[in-house]
Amino acid sequence: MCVGLSAKVVNVKDGTALIDANGAKREVSADLLEDLEPGDYVMVHAGVAIAKITESDEEEANDVMEGLL
Amino acid sequence: MNEQAKKARDIIVNYKGRPLRIMEVCGTHTHEIFKLGLRKLLPENVELISGPGCPVCVTPVGFIDEAIWLALEKGCVITTFGDLIRVPGTEMSLAGARAKGAVVRPVYSPLDAVEMARQNPDEQIVFLAVGFETTTPSACLAAETAKKEGLTNFSLLTANKTMPNAYAALEGSADAFLYPGHVNAITGTSICEDLKDKGVSGVIAGFTASELLTALAVILKNAEKDEPFFVNCYPRVVKPEGNPPAQKLIEKVMEPCDTEWRGLGVIPMSGMKLRDEYADFDARKKYAMPEIKGRPNPACRCGEVLQGKCKPCDCKVFGKVCTPEHPVGACMVSDEGACAAYYQYGGI
Repeated sequence: MCVGLSAKVVNVKDGTALIDANGAKREVSADLLEDLEPGDYVMVHAGVAIAKITESDEEEANDVMEGLL
Repeated sequence: MNEQAKKARDIIVNYKGRPLRIMEVCGTHTHEIFKLGLRKLLPENVELISGPGCPVCVTPVGFIDEAIWLALEKGCVITTFGDLIRVPGTEMSLAGARAKGAVVRPVYSPLDAVEMARQNPDEQIVFLAVGFETTTPSACLAAETAKKEGLTNFSLLTANKTMPNAYAALEGSADAFLYPGHVNAITGTSICEDLKDKGVSGVIAGFTASELLTALAVILKNAEKDEPFFVNCYPRVVKPEGNPPAQKLIEKVMEPCDTEWRGLGVIPMSGMKLRDEYADFDARKKYAMPEIKGRPNPACRCGEVLQGKCKPCDCKVFGKVCTPEHPVGACMVSDEGACAAYYQYGGI
């Protein structure tokens, strides 16, 4: 249930975003994110986009590890 | 494996500090860690224990009984995340209730249940709203949408929960927490900062191999210092402020209440219920539901598993009477449950 789905926003209209998750397309609510635009990446949970995200987890890991070492 | 991942792995395998118990709060973390084989990297003095972060697993037996009462006594159509359908109630699961005529439909989102109510005005649709801060906004959106549209055939049976008071109830269970990243995507990081000030350590972790390796390495590196710490290891999703529109929506639609957690008992102000302004969408009020108390199976040790007090394989029914095909407890049903993870990936 808590599994989030990261996806790319294809378009946004009237509080609804069409997302593309590795080729699977679905409409989700965009009500909880401001200024969402096509091309953004989002985390989707239970049919609702809950966070704007960056695409790469490697870049993130590099930054966290650099702060650690 | 990239250079940073190798460094993280080296920190983990070469850890020689004090013995550590790390609690994966989120059931998805438990499953990913098993699936990726990360447990095999850990030295003997580091133990991973599962926590109460699977919403299906912490939902008490009585909640299932309430849903069955709505279906069988009131003729409501029950819509739910699929995981809940096979969770045992006192006498039967929702799957068992189907055999007695209950209509139970799995949905991906509470908003799908609202759409079902729009399309079927002759049916009374009830959505089973379980979950933590991650899921609560979608239930609130459903209630808000139904209210705006004046839908009279949609309501929620709520068992939503919040994490901060659960951490307090778990005090002493672990030396550090792997905080559930998607809860913090909504709440932000202030909860974790506050916990650090109270002496509780942890890191916010993502769910990929790289993110989990990094998070574990950060815990082990900080544990050497022997002072409370908090690091957000999932900044690509979790921002310090969280998601303010989601927080505002929850504040508008729901309010805190005492609630029962399977295994942990009633934790004061750790639940969320609909505010009076949304009473028409509260299934308990709408159908004048009597108080229904569930009786868990005494053989099941899910409650202790959820607190990290025992491992699934310490339970005498695990893997014998209790299997994914015939679950006795909720932790064996849900894809995020600790017992299901141990059964699927090893530990028998």
